[in-house]
Amino acid sequence: MRPYLAQIRNNLRLMARDRAVLVFSYLFPSIFFFMFAQLFDARQSPGAMAQVLAMVIVIGILGSGFFGAGMRAVQERETNILRRFKVAPISAAPIIVASLVSGLVNFLPVVAFYLILSCAYYKMPWPHNMLSLFVFVSIGIVAFRAAGMIVASVVNSAQEAQLVTQILYLPMLFLSGATIPVSVMPGWIQIVANFLPATYLYQGIESILIGGASIAATRSAVVGLLITLAVSLFVGVKLFRWEKEEKIRNSAKLWILAVLAPFIVMGVYQARTGQSTLQNTIMARNILRSRSYLFQNANIFVGNGRVIQGGSVLVRNGKIAEVYEVAPGNLQSLNAEIVNAVGKTIIPGLIDMHVHLGAPGGIYSDSSGYSDPKLAERRLAAYLYSGITAVRSTGDWLTSSFEWRHDIQSGEYLGAEPFICGPLFTTPGGHGTEYYKNLPQNQQKLWEKEFVRLPASQGEARKEVDALHAAGIDCIKAVLESGNSSFGLFNHMDAAIYRAVISEAQADHLPSATHTGNAGDVKEAADAGSSSIEHGSMNDLIPASTWAEMKEKNLVYDPTLSVYEAQADFANGNPELLTRSLVQQVGPANLIASTRAAVEKNRTKPSRDFAPLLVLVNKNLVNAYKAGVTLITGTDAGNILVIHGPTVQHELELWVKAGIPPAIALEAATYNAAKVLGASGRIGSIQKGRDATFVLLEGDPLVDIANTERIAMVMFRGERIDRSALFNQTRK
Amino acid sequence: MPNYSHSPAIVVENLHKSYGDVHALRGIDLEIRTGEVFGLLGPNGAGKTTTVEILEGLRQRTSGKVSVLGFDPAIEVKRIKDRIGVCLQAMNLPDKIKVHEALELFAAFYSEEVDRRKLLDRLQLGVKRDAYYSTLSGGQKQRVALALALLNNPALLFLDEPTTGLDPQVRHEIHGLIQELKEDRRTILITTHYIEEAERLCDRVAFVDAGKIVEMGTPREIQRRVMGETLVEVTADAPLPLDLLPEALRSEPHTARDQDCTISLQTASPAAAIVELVKWIDRQGLHLIDIHMKRPTLEDVFIKLTGRKLRE
Repeated sequence: MRPYLAQIRNNLRLMARDRAVLVFSYLFPSIFFFMFAQLFDARQSPGAMAQVLAMVIVIGILGSGFFGAGMRAVQERETNILRRFKVAPISAAPIIVASLVSGLVNFLPVVAFYLILSCAYYKMPWPHNMLSLFVFVSIGIVAFRAAGMIVASVVNSAQEAQLVTQILYLPMLFLSGATIPVSVMPGWIQIVANFLPATYLYQGIESILIGGASIAATRSAVVGLLITLAVSLFVGVKLFRWEKEEKIRNSAKLWILAVLAPFIVMGVYQARTGQSTLQNTIMARNILRSRSYLFQNANIFVGNGRVIQGGSVLVRNGKIAEVYEVAPGNLQSLNAEIVNAVGKTIIPGLIDMHVHLGAPGGIYSDSSGYSDPKLAERRLAAYLYSGITAVRSTGDWLTSSFEWRHDIQSGEYLGAEPFICGPLFTTPGGHGTEYYKNLPQNQQKLWEKEFVRLPASQGEARKEVDALHAAGIDCIKAVLESGNSSFGLFNHMDAAIYRAVISEAQADHLPSATHTGNAGDVKEAADAGSSSIEHGSMNDLIPASTWAEMKEKNLVYDPTLSVYEAQADFANGNPELLTRSLVQQVGPANLIASTRAAVEKNRTKPSRDFAPLLVLVNKNLVNAYKAGVTLITGTDAGNILVIHGPTVQHELELWVKAGIPPAIALEAATYNAAKVLGASGRIGSIQKGRDATFVLLEGDPLVDIANTERIAMVMFRGERIDRSALFNQTRK
Repeated sequence: MPNYSHSPAIVVENLHKSYGDVHALRGIDLEIRTGEVFGLLGPNGAGKTTTVEILEGLRQRTSGKVSVLGFDPAIEVKRIKDRIGVCLQAMNLPDKIKVHEALELFAAFYSEEVDRRKLLDRLQLGVKRDAYYSTLSGGQKQRVALALALLNNPALLFLDEPTTGLDPQVRHEIHGLIQELKEDRRTILITTHYIEEAERLCDRVAFVDAGKIVEMGTPREIQRRVMGETLVEVTADAPLPLDLLPEALRSEPHTARDQDCTISLQTASPAAAIVELVKWIDRQGLHLIDIHMKRPTLEDVFIKLTGRKLRE
């Protein structure tokens, strides 16, 4: 023990006196720290600050490893210093271990210093996992110093050491993310980066700092670094040379590869899975979401009925940090990017409460348009593009639903936030089963597992609700529908089983949504206490008593006018809905083209008169409004001519045309919807503490509801969405 | 514990060392007594360093028997290293280490320690305790190297070319120190290619050439053994009639130069030869101008033995 301690003490003493150490461990990282902080606007973004901190730590560790440990070891051998140790009764172990430990003792205070500076001066939040951070950084320092010692072990001269060191150091410095964010680099460089230990070091530190990850989440990096450390120590002691005259075979340089082996394995794995490219995307997104913005002089449609004229909204770290009724005083001190919003209106992100993400909203010319799993997520991107920041999937494949939600919530993919119901509760031969009844037997089995629940008893119904709840769905969807002579007839769900579904959902504190076909269904759903009634009736007027019951029970109405209009347009061969500007923008172009062709084929066919139906559904809506029933906006997107994207805007236009005041309509599409989703603490209004998820409109939607389509900016969880890039997202 | 004063400090029997096809040592036999100062002489590449490094436990031998302080360096390296002191040629320390820090660091590696302050004073380094190594003169650095070698109060001290590269003044100073160390009754093994150093410091010397010991003994013994090589030179005021050289001298190798005015003669009994020559010159009616006698040095011995110079 004594030789180890003496050697560590001596190293530390010499380090403190060594100008090169001062330059590489302190001065260099300092320069980068302040330079990067400036470059990445760290004062406006805690995420960018965390990124800068991670960069500086990695630069420091690289310097410490390759120069502090590696080059120094070579120098000591080349200048005959190690010769003296050779004749003393010690092995190489104290020398190597002391180099690792003294590097650690030397650099950890530096890390602490920059951490304090980042948090105190640049307002980065303190990391949740302080211990994880320091443990991970320590492993990094020790592993990189050990790797530096290996370089020293396998080179035969100072020049050779320079060469090998630069070959390892420079790519790690520039490709790991330590100086240039990896997410901005071309894909092939990101793949190359996956072979560099420094990349894992950087990502680990960043994910602890930004993602709040614990050391356990960085285990692959930790394991890789520990293997590098162990191999380096073993090989380092074995290959240790005390004198420059002792040369080593060139083939010994291959030991470097052995030391880097875990990262070669990881690189190959990453190249195959793209896991880390994904990680880079998420990390970059987290940084974007941590920026600060001040929207100045905007009209603010709060969502809860209030409108603030000429107010300001401060966005910080993904949240609405403050809503100012009058302009804040010292703008400089806010450290936020100023967005001048004079003449513009901020509304909460719009919410479509009734969509089917698995359905295209049109007709594809070939079947690949239906089977491509990437399309559903593209639909979420189309929503976000259009300012619809959340959607409720009221009936989709269960497994896919979870995947969509995961990919959006994790930040892997950018799109509207999906709330999911998964399968529909219906009955054999009921509405919902018609989509798969003509498919082959094995396909039908799959649909029955993924898309519907057909409980045969109340007990089964309750069990199935509980199972879905346990699996993590957001809402229960049930169907009460007998159909009619023009659209076809369906088996109606047993009343007792239906009530069991709704009451079990209530017991599980899950919101429920019931598809209804006529006034009787609506009454049945209201009696059961379904949180929302979807569609209402296309057959008859819903009586005032039912509306009164709904108001009384605080049940909400989702009229989905869009789908009725779309059905009529389709039957009449009218492609007008496809010509809306935002619809054209979100596309996809091939879907619009083939749908248009299909629609136009109907032009010449005789069709039934849809006018009375449209009058009826409008009337039901207006009556619900007049009865004081809370309204929400759904569109049944996925049905033909209801293209995923700017759905809510058109629904709102239909409402206003039907006679609903714009403010009521807009509240239905934001605050009310969020409330029904159980998410009003997070979305649906412009209030302090809510997610910074909102839309900046060019005009006032209360003056003309069509202004909801004039989108100046979409902000999603604090990220200023690059809308045109939404459709270029690469998927695994 | 072996009793050092009665058993030899180092015993080497038939030591061989090969590097592949190269035979660096071809059967070295050596016995160094406890308390003696022993010099190992030889040109670079003769096998001195290899021999010493095998003794110090830094290198493995190919065959032969070696015992250092009663231990086999191939097996008990750590024990040997702990008990010996080594003053290396071309040793270095970090620039920014202070003298006393260097001593403190290396002392931590040994089981036995001396009073470091006294050691520094004895080596006249007391005033340089707090000086950075890089600020020391060559002589001071060499004394630091000696101090490091003495830290553990070694029973056996290896001095590898202790004065190579130092100027004559400093060399003189170091020689003084080594002579002081001699008085401690410590066994000292010096490798050197300075003949004067060996003559001055060593009780016994051995000549190593091409991996073998070619001559061994006290400097005086060796000189005496090759006394036959003493050169006698006389110069007269006129050419000497070499063909009239007395019978007793004619058999010795001799040469003439300066138009036969000077005659050089190699002999084992120089005193008798001088008397004979002087008498003979007188008999010839010539006058003796100069007389010169040159005894062989160890260097001459070496050249004689190997046909090569030491510093080659």
